[in-house]
Amino acid sequence: MPGNCEATIVLAGDLHARPAGALSVAAAKFASAVLLLAGGKQANARSVLAVMQLGASNGQEVTVRATGPDAREAVDAMIGILAEATRAGD
Amino acid sequence: MAPKVGIVLVSHSAALARGAAELAGQVSGSGVTIGTAGGTEDGRIGTSIDKVQRALALADGGAGVVILPDLGSSVLTVRALLADSDDLPAHVVMADAPFVEGAVAAAVAAAGGGDVQAVLEAAQEARHARKL
Repeated sequence: MPGNCEATIVLAGDLHARPAGALSVAAAKFASAVLLLAGGKQANARSVLAVMQLGASNGQEVTVRATGPDAREAVDAMIGILAEATRAGD
Repeated sequence: MAPKVGIVLVSHSAALARGAAELAGQVSGSGVTIGTAGGTEDGRIGTSIDKVQRALALADGGAGVVILPDLGSSVLTVRALLADSDDLPAHVVMADAPFVEGAVAAAVAAAGGGDVQAVLEAAQEARHARKL
């Protein structure tokens, strides 16, 4: 039975191209479907162009929602990248 | 670790091909080989079938290669190579995609372990990506 997991983070910087790439590369390693939601838009985390199109910026809330057998691990990984990458400011 | 799908960027301009490869490499992180075939053999604007062939050989890690052409005769050059050469890596396909967005999307999909079909689809989905 697939699990669901969701977590929200407030970005400490803008979501630039490199972290967007890191999110998509990481999302591809999980069996779960992973969605990113920000500012009323949503993106399949595996699609780097969709993630960049969110235009998520400093101070904005981003919600990670995963559905599947490794939903919790997927959400933890996404939140970790979002926290790390936007703090580093690249 | 399983080999990753390689990418080849074919442009009329060597600088454009190299720049797009640099960007796609940065966004996707390390681990994906991106070959470039930009300009003519003597450094002018144009395309070279021999350059494409060399870039293919470089990018081929055994999992296949997705080729992205920029405009017009880049497509024809790649088509000619794919049609005529009997010395190609297995699973070589050309993507119908915008050059920069397609290169970035393809490289990220390859870095995530996608197969040739998945990388091709990622590149081609870039046709629908809006900037604004």
